[in-house]
Amino acid sequence: MKKKTDVVIIGGGVIGTSIAYSLAKNGVTDVVLVERDTLSCGATGRCAGGIRQQWSEPSNVRLARASIEIFKNFREEMGRDIGLVEGGYLLCAHAEEEAERFRETVAMQRKVGADVRIVTPEEMRDIAPCLNTDGMILGAYCPDDCHADPFQVTQGYAENARRLGVDIELHTEVTEIRKKGKRVAAVVTNGGKIECNWVVNAAGGHSAEVGAMAGVDLPTKSYRHQIAVTEPIRRIQEPLIVDFYVNIYFCQTAHGSFMMGYGDEAEKPGHNVRGTWQFLEEISRRLTGLVPALKDISVVRQWAGLYNMSPDAQPILGRVSDEVENFICAVGFSGHGFMLAPITGVLMAELITYGETRTLPIDELSIKRFEGGVKSAEANVV
Amino acid sequence: MAMINTEILVIGGGPAGLCAAAEAAEHGAKVLLVDDKDVLGGQLIKQTHRFFGSRQQYAGVRGIDIAKILIENAREFGVELTTGATATAIYGDGVVAAATDDGFLKVRPEKIIAATGAYENMLAFPNSDLPGVYGAGAVQTLMNVNGVAPGNRVLMIGAGNIGLIVAYQLLQAGIGVAAVIEITDRVGGYYVHANKIRRLGVPILLRHTVKYAWGGEGVEGAAIARVDERYRPIPGTERDLAVDTICLSVGLTPLTELLWNAGCGMKYIAQLGGHVAWHDENMRTSREDIYVAGDASGIEEASSAMIEGKVAGLNAAYALKRDIGLSKKNYEGCLEDYREQLCQLRRGPFGEKARRGKSALMGAPIPADRPIKSTPVPDEEFQKGARVVIECEQNIPCDPCEATCPHGAITVGEDMVNYPLLDAGKCNACGICVASCPGLALFVLNRDYSQTETEIILPYEFIPVPNKGDRVDACDREGNVVCRARVSRAVKSKKFDRTALVSLVVEDRYADVVRSFRISGIVPETGRIEKPDMSRVDEMDTIICVCEDVTRRRIEEAIDRDGAQSMDEIKRLLRCGMGPCQGKTCQRLIMQILAKKLNRNIEEFKPQTYRGPMKPVSLGLLAKADDEEEN
Repeated sequence: MKKKTDVVIIGGGVIGTSIAYSLAKNGVTDVVLVERDTLSCGATGRCAGGIRQQWSEPSNVRLARASIEIFKNFREEMGRDIGLVEGGYLLCAHAEEEAERFRETVAMQRKVGADVRIVTPEEMRDIAPCLNTDGMILGAYCPDDCHADPFQVTQGYAENARRLGVDIELHTEVTEIRKKGKRVAAVVTNGGKIECNWVVNAAGGHSAEVGAMAGVDLPTKSYRHQIAVTEPIRRIQEPLIVDFYVNIYFCQTAHGSFMMGYGDEAEKPGHNVRGTWQFLEEISRRLTGLVPALKDISVVRQWAGLYNMSPDAQPILGRVSDEVENFICAVGFSGHGFMLAPITGVLMAELITYGETRTLPIDELSIKRFEGGVKSAEANVV
Repeated sequence: MAMINTEILVIGGGPAGLCAAAEAAEHGAKVLLVDDKDVLGGQLIKQTHRFFGSRQQYAGVRGIDIAKILIENAREFGVELTTGATATAIYGDGVVAAATDDGFLKVRPEKIIAATGAYENMLAFPNSDLPGVYGAGAVQTLMNVNGVAPGNRVLMIGAGNIGLIVAYQLLQAGIGVAAVIEITDRVGGYYVHANKIRRLGVPILLRHTVKYAWGGEGVEGAAIARVDERYRPIPGTERDLAVDTICLSVGLTPLTELLWNAGCGMKYIAQLGGHVAWHDENMRTSREDIYVAGDASGIEEASSAMIEGKVAGLNAAYALKRDIGLSKKNYEGCLEDYREQLCQLRRGPFGEKARRGKSALMGAPIPADRPIKSTPVPDEEFQKGARVVIECEQNIPCDPCEATCPHGAITVGEDMVNYPLLDAGKCNACGICVASCPGLALFVLNRDYSQTETEIILPYEFIPVPNKGDRVDACDREGNVVCRARVSRAVKSKKFDRTALVSLVVEDRYADVVRSFRISGIVPETGRIEKPDMSRVDEMDTIICVCEDVTRRRIEEAIDRDGAQSMDEIKRLLRCGMGPCQGKTCQRLIMQILAKKLNRNIEEFKPQTYRGPMKPVSLGLLAKADDEEEN
């Protein structure tokens, strides 16, 4: 392992590898990415792989739109099939209040440029013929949304980063971050010390712990989110469907299996990623209620991952403290890190390469937004 | 389905689980046993052969009948037996889930005994994914449980006890066995089992491997070849066999998914068959509420599985919070007895693997094997008269010959790994021991049958049994026909439990040669072998992961190109292990490929992270579960 480098990236998930690749693409190739276990072993490898523009906060919509462009060109640019299913996202509204909110957010999203529209229950059944729309008032549909295989995306970023000269050190755990004045001087790992000019915190579920090593108190907390997957069947559903009222999301992957999960409000912060039988039963009730045709299809696995939540459910990007000038964070993705990873890589690489972002401004996502409390939180989290 | 509370939950109703459950219940514990099959008994229900061991482990009794005894015992002591219930996960709150045909059970036990058994190792070779390639256990299930012939002509791979026994059972079912091939230079199973099939004309080819199979809808043939000292096929030694079935008997791996899932400390012990849960002499794992027994704790014989089950059951019962009235003295007495039995079963050359494996697991010194006293006595003086001839060549823990001889003519002694010794003066050539020997290794010779002829009493486990006066082809120990022989007697007695005693009269010169006979039709003839062009067969196209159709080439690429160095990484990249079998078929093969390519030892690789449910469960079944408590 190198003893000295320009940039150390902490975290071998999709965020870390995306930043590594974008840096190398910008010509910053003296980069070491350290990962305590293996690539995508954390939240990345545990997520459903959804990619959507339908957010309630304009900044999230902008980031997602920029990411989708990159996902759609991924195969061409990276030479790897990422199992992209361009089946759209269908959001379901049950109550009038929820329907009203949908109408408003769709208007906002359209203003930002997303091809989203309100659909009737009848149209919803055309889009997803197996969906039981009983009790639904309307839907929000974005045909441009999609989902992909997080393992392949991460692997694609990693192998291209390596090809351009980035060192990826697996099974390398950061134990300490050494500072000199207002700068990080070195990252200490179980494989040795690396002196560096920049440190990027892309530690996902462990972002707060890494922040603490640099002396920064990050307002991120991790929560378990459970998920399950069925055996593969023939294609019966194109879009990823989200139902906030029932509290579930589910999609049929390129491989043919159904993947589904929900957020449990009773979860307490922590790093527990064990699955529960309660979840398995509950998700099955919710899914078979919405897609009764799936009742004879079998669940083959369940697992859990961590949502690294920020106070407003939007990522925290860039410098986080005047006390550590060269410590960059890409944390707190709140369950939508996978879909924002491509643009995050581009932006963080620009920040390091040019001292500022060029593709999009990130001021709205600075940690400073929390000064004086949360003003506006992302509502469309499931 | 509602939550069930119990004191002890036993997972698995094979010999270990049934014994564990009965033991715990006998001492007063409330016990629930779940088993994934519809019939209890585990592998015992397929085992039509007589068992080795001693009376305490039902030696001389056929496996199918031992199952009945063990089920009856468990029932008598009040064990609640639930069949058709597959344990799917052990959750963090201590709840064990189990899927049945019509429900999703949840059990909250105070103690868990995992007696989940083992699964068969697979062998991958070009076209090994053709229908007609089976594990030996599957073949046994088809034949002995379902009464279905797997094929007409079989190639058996592996000469361990399972391969030898299943080859014999195939012959009993009237199915031809082209050969038993074994890659090492020795028969791994008991020689008595090997001799049983050799004298029926089945060749056992040592230092041989299968190169590939061919066929359209199913297996039509296989090419075998000799191997060199590094187990590589030697060019020019290839030979084609016309077979429609290839039966794999290349070892077992402990089934430990649930133990990994529960977070038990695991260790790779080659002698025990792979990763096993660390456990102490009381069969307790690193989790104080989880015990393990039988093959799940290390591959051994069913006899030791039963005793391990008793040890686990005894300890789990003794550790319960409730006072069940099991006194310390009673507990210690039982424990000592079981430990001594285990020690006995693990004596001799066949016990060495278990002795070494368990010691390595527990980090204890390997217990010295007590010296084996007896050696076979040559039969130099036996030229006149009638008596039994003992052709038992190995120190197998076994004593039914001693136990059944009504005249006290055979002595094995306290150590049942001793060779049986004959006191010829006491033997009256009754043949009872011939019918009781699990290895079919005893014969009675009456050299005084007539001036020129000897009568040989042979054990015979085929149908039809010939009748007195029939003439048959008498065969030597390799199955070659050496002469015609007259059947002088055929005894089918209920007390011999389906082993007939057939007496053949042969010329004196064949007295020490003839050890079997053939009526006809046991070994089918083979015609000309038709084979497609196999010159372009590529080992890299071999399917390794059958669920997801992943070839060896793609796995090697994932290692070479993508830098995968673990089972989990290969799973993420190629989906190996994400299918319904959860890696049971491919995992060991992939770890072998990883070890070879990365030049590391196989024990350095961890299996993939096991995630419940271990068996697919339908959404409909899960959706109708309710969460009431039931007592």
